[in-house]
Amino acid sequence: MDARILLVEDDPSIREVTALGLGAAGFTVATAADGVEGVERWRAERPDLVLLDVMLPRMDGLEVCRAIRREATTPIVMLTARADTIDVVVGLESGADDYVRKPFEMRELVARVRAALRRHAGGTGAGEVGTIVLGPLRIDLDGRTVERDAREIPLTRTEFDLLADLAQHPGRVCTREVLLDHVWGYDYLGDSRLVDVAIGRLRAKVEDDPSNPSLVVTVRGAGYKAARPDG
Amino acid sequence: MRGVRARLALTLVALVAVTVAAIGLGVYGFVDASLRDRLIADGRKQADYNLSVLLPGAVPPPTDRAAFIASGLPDAFALRGDSATIADFGDAKPFEPVSMPGALGEISPALRATVAAGQLGYAWQTLAGQPVLIVGGRQAGSPSLYFVFEASDVETALAQLRIGLAAAAALAILAALAAGGLIARGILRPVDAAAGAARRIGGGDLSARVPVGGRDEFGRWAVAFNEMATALESTVERLEVAKRQNQRFVADVSHELRTPLTALVAEASLIEAGLGNLPPGQRRAAELLVADVRRLRALVDDLMEVSRFDAGAEQAAFEQVDLSHLVTTVVASRLPEAAVSLPPAPVLVEAELRRLDRILGNLLDNARDHAPGAPVEVAVVPTMEGAVVTVADRGPGVPREVLPHLFERFYKADASRSAGSSGLGLAIAAEHAALLGATLRARRRPGGGLVFALTLPVTRSLPGSDGPDTMVADSGGASESVSRDRP
Repeated sequence: MDARILLVEDDPSIREVTALGLGAAGFTVATAADGVEGVERWRAERPDLVLLDVMLPRMDGLEVCRAIRREATTPIVMLTARADTIDVVVGLESGADDYVRKPFEMRELVARVRAALRRHAGGTGAGEVGTIVLGPLRIDLDGRTVERDAREIPLTRTEFDLLADLAQHPGRVCTREVLLDHVWGYDYLGDSRLVDVAIGRLRAKVEDDPSNPSLVVTVRGAGYKAARPDG
Repeated sequence: MRGVRARLALTLVALVAVTVAAIGLGVYGFVDASLRDRLIADGRKQADYNLSVLLPGAVPPPTDRAAFIASGLPDAFALRGDSATIADFGDAKPFEPVSMPGALGEISPALRATVAAGQLGYAWQTLAGQPVLIVGGRQAGSPSLYFVFEASDVETALAQLRIGLAAAAALAILAALAAGGLIARGILRPVDAAAGAARRIGGGDLSARVPVGGRDEFGRWAVAFNEMATALESTVERLEVAKRQNQRFVADVSHELRTPLTALVAEASLIEAGLGNLPPGQRRAAELLVADVRRLRALVDDLMEVSRFDAGAEQAAFEQVDLSHLVTTVVASRLPEAAVSLPPAPVLVEAELRRLDRILGNLLDNARDHAPGAPVEVAVVPTMEGAVVTVADRGPGVPREVLPHLFERFYKADASRSAGSSGLGLAIAAEHAALLGATLRARRRPGGGLVFALTLPVTRSLPGSDGPDTMVADSGGASESVSRDRP
């Protein structure tokens, strides 16, 4: 696996050892020490994935996240010191796909990075070929694109995977746990906020009225489902 | 309060009642005596005159009833004063007024004896149903004469006096009762205020004060009370500030430790991956380094978690959790060699997966650290009110007096074997349990070891499952089934 990763982290020790570990795991790593440099390096390198510290000098990680999201759907994994704070939710709302809590074991980080890359490489299994129609949406599983009225909607790949996973079984309820497993690759104890925030971002892009969703519906106390074609 | 008020009022009423009774009785006795004395004096005077002046000059001498009437004495007596006359001649034919037939027989024997002995006497009694004063006497050779004076005026006056006195006494007592209540309320108002203030302080409102009413005893007492409350308030404030500073310090320290710790943990995991390439001497040191970094990480994680609880930053987000699935997963990742006993039907609880994972994980870590190598049993038991998860070990256990301290922070039951844990695991588990509305208790296990029981409220079985009638209880390693169908 020779995916290219951009690591934006201000602490030199963490930056160096993380780069070492990712390198040892087979990735090509570019690094940046602050937010401004991070955005510049991202434009120059166009990496396959960005690992982004939240607290950065000059331009914080959330700003960097939004800056990248304005231009591309590159997967972003946040590195956060405190999993309990609003940082996580704001980070996810800024467009991050996943987060890893500091301190982290290298194999834990590598596993999260691989899970994020694997999703985006597509082809997580059979049965994902063809096109699904969900209301006004045409979901192309091969090309990993979503069109509405012949216009492509730019979804991150996490959002695409979430939509595709729900749309493949319209009317069937998927619990947050199941979605965390299918989309994020958490087999146990994933943070359900990942699902809720991603669903919110997805709705903002595909629903007519995101506050009154008709395509991706919440099933209270259970999870989410895609609306059946017949209503 | 009510007791003091009632006692004050009752005391006042009793005092008034005693005073009123004494005065009333005195007045009554005096009036009674003076009214009677006057009637007696009049009666005696008239009797004396009748006996010593009118009787000796009577013609014919009144030796019997007929002579008595012929002498005109009855009319003469009646003219002298408003009295009726009874004359006893010693025979069976006494003279009696027409209105009082048989009156002689009603006169008290004591008076008749006195008169028979030749002395002047009197008696208060009723005659023909009327209260009367009878004055009796005789001269030598004369009949016994009794002069009857009506006493109903005296009795009527006394009866009116009694009613008047009783009414006055009742009024006085009522007034005393009212006055007592008012006085008591006035006295007790500051006491009421003080009780209210003390209650508020007891309830945590340290700003409560007593109004200072004046310079009397209560006023001075109120000043002292307020001084005490102020001192208490400032002491508690100082303690609160110190506690907050302490908690912030812990939070700040743990947070500051996080950056170097992140580097350490990542470095240690790289070193661990390369252990095989190190020469034996360095390898051992590297192994120890990796293990110690993990311990440090666990300690900092625990400190961060504790400081979040102290800051009140933790809130439960309830979700539906399959307890059996959770227990299976946590045991598999933390202590795979533990024996697990589950009911046949899934047990659903309203809880939070992450917190249950922490509680159970910490209990398993505790069992592993304090009972190394000993068998550990984990069981899920549905109950009527909820579900109980037990973690039982066969370790050395603890003395009974240690049980209440097990959930204290940094409490180490066995100082010599504390190397593996932060000392915060059980305290954190208890905090999580409290957030979930659950209880976490420890008890000594018969035969040695400890049992931790996590009691979770409100559970229900998955709908559609058809074997929920059997509960499995694990006792001492052997499972016994209890069926509800059994009679």
